[in-house]
Amino acid sequence: MKSKNRKQCAECKKSSTDHLTRLGIHSGKYDFTVALAGNPNTGKSTVFNRLTGLHQHTGNWPGKTVTRAEGGFIYQEKRYKLIDLPGTYSLLSNTRDEEIARNYILFGQPDVTIIVVDSTRLERNLNLVLQILEITEKAVVCLNLVDEASRHQLKIDEKKLMRDLGVPVIPTSARNGDGIPKLLQGIHEVVHGIYPCKPHRIRIESEQLKNAIDTLVGKLDEIYPDLPNTRWVALRLIEGDQSIIQAIKNGTFKNLVFDQTKKEEVIVA
Amino acid sequence: MINVIYVMLAIAVTIIFIAYLFHPKKGLIYRIQRVRQNIQRRFIEDALKHNYHCETQQLACTIQSLAGALSFNIDRTTKLISRLEELSLIKLNGKGLHLTSQGRRYALGIIRTHRLWELYLANETGIDEIEWHSIAEIEEHKLTEDEMDKIAEIMRYPRFDPHGAPIPTKTGEIPPKKTIPMTELNVGDYARIVSVEDEPKTIYAQITALGLCQGMEIHILEHTPQKIRFAAEGDESVLAPLIAANINVNLLQRKPHIRTSKYTLADLDPGKQGTVIGISTRIRGQQRRRLMDIGIIPGTLIASQIRSPGGDPTAYEIRGALIALRRKQARQIYIDPKKKTGDQR
Amino acid sequence: MNTSNNREIKNDKDSILELANSLRWDVGPNYYDELMESIYKDAAKIADNAISIADEKTGFDWDRFLDKLLTSRVSGFPIMLLILAIVLWITVAGANIPSGWLSTLFLDKLHPVLSDFAITIGMSWWLKGILIDGMYLAMAWVVSVMLPPMAIFFPLFTLLEDFGLLPRVAFNLDNLFKKAGAHGKQALSMSMGFGCNAAGIIATRIIDSPREKLIAIITNNFALCNGRWPTQILIATLFIGALVPPAIAGFISAMAVVFIALLGILLTFLSSWFLSKTILRGEVSTFSLELPPYRPPQILRTLYTSLIDRTIFVLWRAIVFAIPAGAVIWLLANIQVNEVSLAEHIIQGLDPFGVLIGLNGVILLAYIIAIPANEIVIPTILMLTVLSKTLTGFGEGAGVMFEFEDLSSYQTVFAAGGWTLLTAINLMLFSLMHNPCSTTLYTIYKESRSVRWTVVSALLPLLLGILMCLITAQVYLLFV
Repeated sequence: MKSKNRKQCAECKKSSTDHLTRLGIHSGKYDFTVALAGNPNTGKSTVFNRLTGLHQHTGNWPGKTVTRAEGGFIYQEKRYKLIDLPGTYSLLSNTRDEEIARNYILFGQPDVTIIVVDSTRLERNLNLVLQILEITEKAVVCLNLVDEASRHQLKIDEKKLMRDLGVPVIPTSARNGDGIPKLLQGIHEVVHGIYPCKPHRIRIESEQLKNAIDTLVGKLDEIYPDLPNTRWVALRLIEGDQSIIQAIKNGTFKNLVFDQTKKEEVIVA
Repeated sequence: MINVIYVMLAIAVTIIFIAYLFHPKKGLIYRIQRVRQNIQRRFIEDALKHNYHCETQQLACTIQSLAGALSFNIDRTTKLISRLEELSLIKLNGKGLHLTSQGRRYALGIIRTHRLWELYLANETGIDEIEWHSIAEIEEHKLTEDEMDKIAEIMRYPRFDPHGAPIPTKTGEIPPKKTIPMTELNVGDYARIVSVEDEPKTIYAQITALGLCQGMEIHILEHTPQKIRFAAEGDESVLAPLIAANINVNLLQRKPHIRTSKYTLADLDPGKQGTVIGISTRIRGQQRRRLMDIGIIPGTLIASQIRSPGGDPTAYEIRGALIALRRKQARQIYIDPKKKTGDQR
Repeated sequence: MNTSNNREIKNDKDSILELANSLRWDVGPNYYDELMESIYKDAAKIADNAISIADEKTGFDWDRFLDKLLTSRVSGFPIMLLILAIVLWITVAGANIPSGWLSTLFLDKLHPVLSDFAITIGMSWWLKGILIDGMYLAMAWVVSVMLPPMAIFFPLFTLLEDFGLLPRVAFNLDNLFKKAGAHGKQALSMSMGFGCNAAGIIATRIIDSPREKLIAIITNNFALCNGRWPTQILIATLFIGALVPPAIAGFISAMAVVFIALLGILLTFLSSWFLSKTILRGEVSTFSLELPPYRPPQILRTLYTSLIDRTIFVLWRAIVFAIPAGAVIWLLANIQVNEVSLAEHIIQGLDPFGVLIGLNGVILLAYIIAIPANEIVIPTILMLTVLSKTLTGFGEGAGVMFEFEDLSSYQTVFAAGGWTLLTAINLMLFSLMHNPCSTTLYTIYKESRSVRWTVVSALLPLLLGILMCLITAQVYLLFV
């Protein structure tokens, strides 16, 4: 593949695509793992292909990618493993796809989660973004299809969005390769802690639910003082999520908290 | 040569038939035996259930009431009771029948099976609401505890059945009843339907025929000894107190957010738009979650865009996406129509 | 960690789970709605903050224009039919030429070379038979007849899909499918089925409602696939066209084929309706159909991915099944019991039943052993007819499939096989209604993950076909 996007990337000379080496399907040691999440039909597979050099089929149909795909790339001398999660609208239902996605983000503990968002349907896509930000702090929002949005006379102020969401927001048009260097830069900044993520938290309005969550969060904080996403865990416990209940029973959370370095041993459900 | 092939065919058919008769788990003979055992089990379990219901409703359970519930004669009922006593599931105390703790656990197990199965039918199958109870009535006697645990696991250990009644846990825990029957409400009260008793069947059928179900908010308009008039999801209904007593409600302290309207999405012709007020409680399970996932929640502005040349479905612009919904679904989404036409978003 | 510490943690775990359990009673059954509302309220606020709309109505709104055009009462259906007809025409017309090349290469050139080579290295006749006349030939046949139409049809279809046309087709036809208890998206899997049923079944993935997906899978076989068009055209030309004056023979035989294809569509609707009312009654049914914005298709990428994802994928499955079937076909024709080949024994056994339903033993056996692909049914029928009627001067020996260049040779062989007009009509019907090919069956199993639905998908069309043929035969005999 040729990198024909240098023109569009005037201000980011240092981090042009030249720092990117696509690895395709490549096994071996990786420095970081990156999860790729997003609504169906947002160009998630295109982003995946751009980064890894693979050719997953993309169609103009919601819910095309059925199987989980993995690939790799090297950026600024670090090796990244990219995991393409199933495209879903939400992470709260009991469908298999949503279960795979939410469990991977929680238990797989990716170093960063890229959330691909369709700029032309920002409001609807934010639903998933907000849910993911409940699970993980380290995320990058990839505001894809900006070319289409401008064709529809939509202007999105990514600075405001970045402030509201508390994570990097990068406009891209993955189909043309625009914005990919910046996306890589964003990933780089989050995994190295250069960008301090302060993710937005959902304001729960129902008193009953809020009280229940608060009670449970208090208890969870007491037992797992280092767990960053106790609110999500509490919410899932109230939903009766078996993988979370299992994780508490086996003490997986303890391991997640204390053995941040030994990531390979964490079993992904 | 023809003969050889036909003879082989005949032998094969015979073997399959014999296998069908005598197969240890699926064979016809085994099944007949199981049905007979099941009938026995069914009577015992129904008797325990009757006892349990009497207990929760604080009614006296007697030989007569049991005979009535099972439509048995007294003779047969007495026999059944002595069998239950043998199994130390109930105690005969004077005229009254009382569950032993073992009997109560057993009864709760059956209720758990019944309610889980109803929820399973409601959420995971397309079977009609009116049939849930009668199917569950049969299945509750057939399913083993292991099978039930598996179903409970698939359903993520749910806590409430589709009628809103709590499902006992495996260890027999069930929260104390906090609801009041609808008959105790006064004029002007707002309340939410928490559960609808699914027995007796005729009364339950009348309640469902009115479209009343768990989760609906109601407002009492009139209450006399003869009738209760109330509003629920935009419709006004009238019930006799006898029937209303089968609806359990929670009194609401203040007026709830209005979630209903006399307009639904189906009333929007292409070019018109409206704001979502709520989704009818009649839509539940996967269907409801899907609708919410695509952005149909109170406050969403929806513009009707194009109607299929077949007249149905219609494509609506919902939060930036063009999504087609069938009329049947659109009719369950309440909206506040706006006169303004034209521009999207 | 020491033991007392461990015990403490264990108690902590239990207390959390207990607390969660009791809280679950408190939140009640409706909390999910409330939670979703909270999330959406936040999302709406954030989005409103960030989005601004540039001056409206600048420029021409292509999306709106295309939607009006493609879903209008007047132009919607004609445009759809026109596009489908063009795609099918390009496929049928365009595939002939490369198919010819491939069959010249694989069958006329390479096959004799391989045979000679096998003889030169002293391979025993039976091993050469199994390997070259059986396995190689079946595989070569499948590749040369299947590859070109699929390599044309799938990319064309994928281009339409990427552009965003197909969801509009589903939108237009949904009402029709709804009446049959099915989903509008089934229009797509059905159209795809005209190319290849296995690909049509993979296409049902886009239907997210379990019941409607199963309906689409089970009834997909009624879409007359690429492998069956040539059979229909051949038989219609030979038998139906011969009934009328030569001037209109071509038109009438073409009409006969179109009639069969339309019958297939009718059967799709009828059986969908039947399934939704009977065995699939209790399955969950949901509906949602998103009409994505039109996007300019990326032609080169589409060609590449549709070739890899669909064409090669389906072809590979077909080859995997064709190879053993080729061996079976050859063995049946060459293993002799009491000096008569096994194939002839079976043909004799099947003949009474075959004749009862207006077919014959040869056709039934051909449909059994040519299960890997409908494309090899006619060559197998020819080979078996020549074998069982001991015709001389046709074909290349027992177990070797072949085809003719000219129609008169077909006529001679079919006449020798005792074929009548009834046989021809029933073969056309049976070709439409019989069990799907093994590739499709395997795909059905893969998609539905259920032996039960795979069996239903195989038996439903088969039983329907047998019943239909039986009725036609009995009615025919009343008049002739």
